[in-house]
Amino acid sequence: MPQNEASLLEVRNVRKTFDSVVRALWDVSFSVYPNEIVGVVGENGAGKSTLMKILVGVFPPDSGEMYHLGSKVPFPKNPREAARRGVSLVPQEKGVVMHLRVYQFLFLGHEDEFTSFWGLKTREMKRLARDILKELHIDCDVDSFMYDLSLPLQKLVEIAKAILTVRLRCKDPDITPIIILDEPTAPLAVEQREQLFEFIMKAKKTSSFIFVSHIIPEILNFADRIYVLRDGKVVAYHDSSSQKVTEEDIFKEIVGRSASEYLYKTATSSTVRDRVCLSVKNLTKKGYYYDISFDLHEGECIGLFGTAGSGKVEIVRTLAGIMDFDDGSIVVDGHSLKGMEASYVGLKYGIGYFSGETGKELFLNWSIARNISILNLEKILKWNGLVISPAEENELAEEIMRKLRIKAPNPQTECYSLSGGNKQKVSVGKWMEKSPRILLLEDPTIGIDVGAREDIYEALLEMKKNGIAMILVSDDPKEYLLLCDRIAYIKSGRIEKIVSPEEFEAMIREE
Amino acid sequence: MKNFTKLRDWSRKNATVITSLAVTIIIIIIFQIINPSFLSHEGIRASIYAMSYFLIVACGLTFVIMMGSFDFSVVSLLKLAALFCVVFIDRYGLFVIPLAILLTTGFGFLNGLLVARFNVPSFMATLGVSIIVEGIALYFSKGRLFLMYNEQFRALAIKSIAGLPAIFYWAMAIWFVSVFIALCTPFGRRTYAIGSNLVAAGLSGVNVVRHRILVFMLSGFYAGLAGVLYMGQLGGGSVRLGTDLAVPLFASIIAGGTALTGGTGGPHRTLLGVIIITWTQTGLLMLAIGRDIQMVIFGIIAIALAAATVDRRRVKSVK
Amino acid sequence: MKTLIGMIKNNFVLMVLILLVVVFICAYPKKFLSPVNISSIVRQFIRLSLFALGPTFVVVIGSMDLTYVGIWMLGGILVWYVSSWIGPFAILIYPILGFVTGLLVGVIQVKAKIPSFILTLSITVTYWGLTAWLSGGYPRRVKGFGFITASLLPYLPVALLWAIPIMIVAVFIMKRTRIGTYFYAIGSNEEGAELSGIDVEKYKILAFTLSGLFTGIGLIILFPLLGGSAPTELKLGSIVDPLIAIVLGGTPLVGGSGGPERTLLGALTFAVIQRGLSLTFWKPELIQLLLGLVVLGAILVGARKLKGMVIT
Repeated sequence: MPQNEASLLEVRNVRKTFDSVVRALWDVSFSVYPNEIVGVVGENGAGKSTLMKILVGVFPPDSGEMYHLGSKVPFPKNPREAARRGVSLVPQEKGVVMHLRVYQFLFLGHEDEFTSFWGLKTREMKRLARDILKELHIDCDVDSFMYDLSLPLQKLVEIAKAILTVRLRCKDPDITPIIILDEPTAPLAVEQREQLFEFIMKAKKTSSFIFVSHIIPEILNFADRIYVLRDGKVVAYHDSSSQKVTEEDIFKEIVGRSASEYLYKTATSSTVRDRVCLSVKNLTKKGYYYDISFDLHEGECIGLFGTAGSGKVEIVRTLAGIMDFDDGSIVVDGHSLKGMEASYVGLKYGIGYFSGETGKELFLNWSIARNISILNLEKILKWNGLVISPAEENELAEEIMRKLRIKAPNPQTECYSLSGGNKQKVSVGKWMEKSPRILLLEDPTIGIDVGAREDIYEALLEMKKNGIAMILVSDDPKEYLLLCDRIAYIKSGRIEKIVSPEEFEAMIREE
Repeated sequence: MKNFTKLRDWSRKNATVITSLAVTIIIIIIFQIINPSFLSHEGIRASIYAMSYFLIVACGLTFVIMMGSFDFSVVSLLKLAALFCVVFIDRYGLFVIPLAILLTTGFGFLNGLLVARFNVPSFMATLGVSIIVEGIALYFSKGRLFLMYNEQFRALAIKSIAGLPAIFYWAMAIWFVSVFIALCTPFGRRTYAIGSNLVAAGLSGVNVVRHRILVFMLSGFYAGLAGVLYMGQLGGGSVRLGTDLAVPLFASIIAGGTALTGGTGGPHRTLLGVIIITWTQTGLLMLAIGRDIQMVIFGIIAIALAAATVDRRRVKSVK
Repeated sequence: MKTLIGMIKNNFVLMVLILLVVVFICAYPKKFLSPVNISSIVRQFIRLSLFALGPTFVVVIGSMDLTYVGIWMLGGILVWYVSSWIGPFAILIYPILGFVTGLLVGVIQVKAKIPSFILTLSITVTYWGLTAWLSGGYPRRVKGFGFITASLLPYLPVALLWAIPIMIVAVFIMKRTRIGTYFYAIGSNEEGAELSGIDVEKYKILAFTLSGLFTGIGLIILFPLLGGSAPTELKLGSIVDPLIAIVLGGTPLVGGSGGPERTLLGALTFAVIQRGLSLTFWKPELIQLLLGLVVLGAILVGARKLKGMVIT
């Protein structure tokens, strides 16, 4: 770390635990210097957002110290206090109020500066708004509504607002503003990100940025220093003094597996059959992916590998029916699927979609048995299909709980009370029972412990043996090696190449 | 010791039912003490009449609320069916019955279409539809009072079987079927699914659009059925029928334990809520407490119940 | 051409209004432009506006407020009671009742998290019960508000003059004060508003309070204008008509845009539709039906903006 300058903001040994069970942050130390970009990377659940929220005063840490300009200060109690010290956050989503005009949004929360007896001094607001947009080289009309702006422009205005917030609240001109950007590029298409990066590089002259992301190439390109978080701890730190860091290095640090673990391979013979069940040709969605083509065979698992932002997630969601596509075709067993067919239509043709975010997919206030049965109603009916048989439902649930080693008192347990890993297992279990032709997997084991992961892998492999085809999208290279027969390397929305697991392994071990 | 913990867990899980049961019993006891004729033959008869048609329409509305939506039009549909029967019975005879029910089911279809296909918030869509329905009811009843002379029609509701009116048996049968549908059939399960998590329901293969339309149609169907039987019970009416039904109706469903957030409760719960509300109504009436104070009481009860049954875990912000 | 289409799209309701006026004038030149008709349009406009302006604030933040009918009824009876002591000053009961009701609703809604539609409907019903109880079932008349009901010109009741300042204040609050900006923000993106440091709970309560207050103040004018008495029967029409004015005017039910000026436009349009239709030879029941279809149409158009959201 630069030893001669005093840090702008520093925290040491921050700890935060939620509900006395979930350890979000553990002994995290972190610093920011003037006019730099600090990158913070990590998986979902690694603690990035929690750390940022503490810096900005959304909630306090359980323990730790904060230093501002070298002297010890208490942690901010709310975003206003943080802003007075020069720290402001641009949230990942829901930061923009669409129905306000640009100048209204920029000054939202700061109207005290502009009140008069005759109402708000809108002329002055607009003038100041124009000034700051000009200063930051943001090209837009202060009278436009926020919803009329393009996505990257909205983000830029958000950043301008954050800078403005600091300037208005922090009366000390010597303090450089620290703007925290939480996953700013996530909703943006590949081309739109350029606009954002250009802006940040220019704005670096007058501010510091904390760039939170899980898109590694971006961090490598722009950050002066990088912190890697995993399971609430800082596991790695890179700055200009360390040797050249590669994407794959960061990958390993994020995921936490040593090279030797990559040697794990499936011992059984290939489960791939001859029949093609899914055929994708020239699938295109402008801004996200282009000319995606491949054939998926029964019993085969194709992995879509790439860094976040490569388009792999969008491809899978399009196949699931959650996203639309512009061009190309998707053919399942002879049926051609149109864009944005509702997800239950895809299911009719045998396409199932499983996402690791279990809140979306599970009925949390329902029992395990019900969550499994809702997808498989046809299997537990009696009386000629009229009535649900609770006995069979229970039996089915017990069988699945046994196979997947789901830890719960009984099948009637509410899913609310299950741990993350067990919730995931319930989801996997219901798909195991459903046996769709094709199962799309998006981050299937995200944020869960090793033991649960192994159980889920076992289940997925068995499903493959039974002829179920899969497509996998994940951040964990080990998963690809374990499950996939072929891996498509996606970069900037295109399939660069399709490799075998051995070739893949070699690729990521490259240094 | 093990039995005790089992009992304690069971009672915690079924807290709402136990509360409802307890409240029901307490109410009956209170009213009986204040007015000994509450549980007399006459008293019970009055309660039964108040309860029966109410229970039918409440069952239909319960399905909609289970699904996480709201149907404001059931009262107007009930009125429509009732008036349709009495106005056109001379022309179509007993055929008015299926026609009336078909009509209300059709409006249920319209409700479903607006909500499921056109994304209109359910309270607004059903409110709009109820305006149209009111208009239609006004149109063919012209504001006049009509009397039902058809004996067969009336017998459907008021014929005495084992001391109780036929409408009671109708209500019980319909309630029983509703409970069966809700708890034992795939249809009921899907309804709960949509109410619990709409997105997950779609991802689990439930044809969300189609199912929502069906449930609104079901609600319309029940409203029509209730309206027909209500007309049989009353023997006549005008366009001013049932204006004060809405809030007690809603209160009884929530009192039973079906929360507005959807995904819980069901017709089996609604029975208790209906008993609480309608028997309270009758009891109050017997104490010569007018409809006006009743409205006040039910209004407050509705608010209190709505507050108590909101599932805080699921809603961050309520509008 | 493109700008013309854009202009029509942006001012759709205004265009419809102008179109309707033109159609009615051509169809019934003498009747439509007669003093009787104009004055009844104005009266209907005032009635719809003053009932709908308050709830508009609530609709902008994304909720619903149906308490105006209840305030009208209960206030009417209370005014009658109190007028025997303090004469015409009793009319001040209305703003007080409106303010208290709005505050109560706001606090309950925010703290107990009850859907506003149910809450305000229940309050109205409760007030109705109280009204019926206090009044013994029939409306009570209070006299002495001639300064409001007198006619200024052959066409215009002087009530319009009294109503205009209220309308101006409502629009001013919405467009030129921080309160209005915050209401739009909360209706547009509550989370975003919170992240910008806005005390969302406080402003939600404020919206309901303003709604009740404006309704109460408006009723100072409406009460005498509508005969010096309030109804004791709850009619669907009186609940729904002001909502139609809001929806027709173009304020979406999910909030975030629109506002009092739109409601005024919607009220005027609706008044013109109602009065215009009554000039035709169609039966009142048919007209009622047509109005219902108009409402449905307005709701559908408004709902198109909700694509993609999960709607229950």
